[in-house]
Amino acid sequence: MNRALFAHTWRANRARVLIVAVALAIWGTFLPIIYDSFGSTFKDIFASGALPPQFAQFGGGDVFSLSGSIAIGFIHPIAVGLNLVFAVGFTTAAIAGERQRGTLEVLLSRPISRRVVYATLAVSGALFVGIAVLGSIVGSVIGASLTGRVSELGVSQLPLLWLNGALLYWAIGAIALLASASFDRLSQALGLTLAIVVVSYFLDVLGSLWPDAKGLQPYSLFHYLDPKTILAGIPHAGDVAVLLGVTVVAVVATLIVFPRRDLAAPS
Amino acid sequence: MSAIETHGLTKRYGHRPSRIHPPGHASEGLVRALEDLTIDVREGEIFGFLGPNGAGKSTMIRLLLGFLHPTAGHASVLGLDSVHASVAIRARVGYLPGGIAFWDGLTGERLLDELAAMSGRPPIRRAALLDRLELSPSTLRRTVRDYSRGMRQKLGVVQALQHDPELAILDEPTEGLDPLMQHAFYAILEELRQAGRTIFFSSHILSEVERVCDRVAIVRQGRLVALEDIPTLLARRKRNVEIRLGGAPPELVGVQGVSDVWIGDGRLTCRLEGDMAPFLAAIARVTIHDLTIEPARLEEAFLEFYVPDVLDAPDPGTTDGADPVAGIRA
Repeated sequence: MNRALFAHTWRANRARVLIVAVALAIWGTFLPIIYDSFGSTFKDIFASGALPPQFAQFGGGDVFSLSGSIAIGFIHPIAVGLNLVFAVGFTTAAIAGERQRGTLEVLLSRPISRRVVYATLAVSGALFVGIAVLGSIVGSVIGASLTGRVSELGVSQLPLLWLNGALLYWAIGAIALLASASFDRLSQALGLTLAIVVVSYFLDVLGSLWPDAKGLQPYSLFHYLDPKTILAGIPHAGDVAVLLGVTVVAVVATLIVFPRRDLAAPS
Repeated sequence: MSAIETHGLTKRYGHRPSRIHPPGHASEGLVRALEDLTIDVREGEIFGFLGPNGAGKSTMIRLLLGFLHPTAGHASVLGLDSVHASVAIRARVGYLPGGIAFWDGLTGERLLDELAAMSGRPPIRRAALLDRLELSPSTLRRTVRDYSRGMRQKLGVVQALQHDPELAILDEPTEGLDPLMQHAFYAILEELRQAGRTIFFSSHILSEVERVCDRVAIVRQGRLVALEDIPTLLARRKRNVEIRLGGAPPELVGVQGVSDVWIGDGRLTCRLEGDMAPFLAAIARVTIHDLTIEPARLEEAFLEFYVPDVLDAPDPGTTDGADPVAGIRA
């Protein structure tokens, strides 16, 4: 890890990190409020059979409990999109984008090995993602406080919730950095990573809404994000293991690929 | 010790030879960027690396810095292996990439500070370089995105040399600089030479190579075609001579070094190679109104290596379609 490069990366992204974290905090605040205001109404609607029961289980969440509403907040496209700003946006631009612009050449002409460049960018990305996920959790706590429902929140489970959320986006970020280190152009790295994320998200949502597609969920990274069970105090160690495994494999692959590849002149 | 040493350095891009096409066949998609290059750059010299666009100049530099891995051969920089010790090499080298790009949101000053921090060496030459290249404090306080092409190039020169590297590798260093700044840059090179630093720079601007370099290597389609000091290279070139006659022309047939004699309209033109004494003796008794002997130019030496290629068919075994003389400036 190179301190000067880390400082440069932090300075270049700190405003964006702050904006995304605040946006996620605001979003996180809304879900407990929605649960508090409309939870019982939604429950009545679903109890009447007006809507299929699967609709109440979108992405493993629901609006009939605080933990369920927080789970929806985590898996909702708005939250996913905000978290992807760093998990995909920052990471794909970090190497492929710099390479396309020609600035990677200036960076690599310093006495910094490619592995150190990668490690510094990976740690930076992990930090940004961690701050963003923290924003969601802080928002959820604020929302629960505003509605007087903190007692329903398993506060002791929040660090594990943060770890689960961060691990999901670290895994995606590690895949994105692998793509970023493997391609010469940002569009290639971004396109491939977004394709993986979109397919993964689609499989998880489809499996949660359609019982026949439930078998597809284990193939989705989002399947291993499970805030509801964590907040209920029954976390699955397997979720953490799978996300950690994907992250480690992607990191190792990048550490092998990036130092060995040729970096021809930017075109 | 040599500052840079390469032996049989080769770089090819593209696919491996397939079973369908015989080895060396153009359709196998193999691009020969550099082939069997052996050069030796001495410490303390200014070494020019010449060739038109696509000749392999940037490939050579990228191999030296470890951005590319050689297909065959070996390169060492400051006694260190370019593949296994590239980080140690880059700690002692200053590099100016061709068409340099920067993080545009930073001010010039912040950019230089950050690059110096990443270099891990204090920017002891920065103030002198900024002064030479007329980059004022107010200019450095502006963001790089507001800089002109020439100002960016100046910033590129400063970031490459500010930490006083033992070896400077400069790719097309005067690209975008106006004539005044080019002169300032040549003065910087001279100072570095006097300080015992080594300069390796690629260029397609022949006049600047002729002006500042001690030795020059010329590459053609990735192959080395000449490696000589400038005076030796020029000594073998023919000079153009024009005489305005005031009377009968001199007898130049058979005079050593004289060729292509033409006489008409009271003028005599010829070409002169090597020792001038026999020629001067031959014209000594002739009435002459005016005599012009053009100095030998590197441009002519360069073109001698390249012009036949224009008429040649494409080289089998390569898909490198670069125009062999495209982009050369005298």
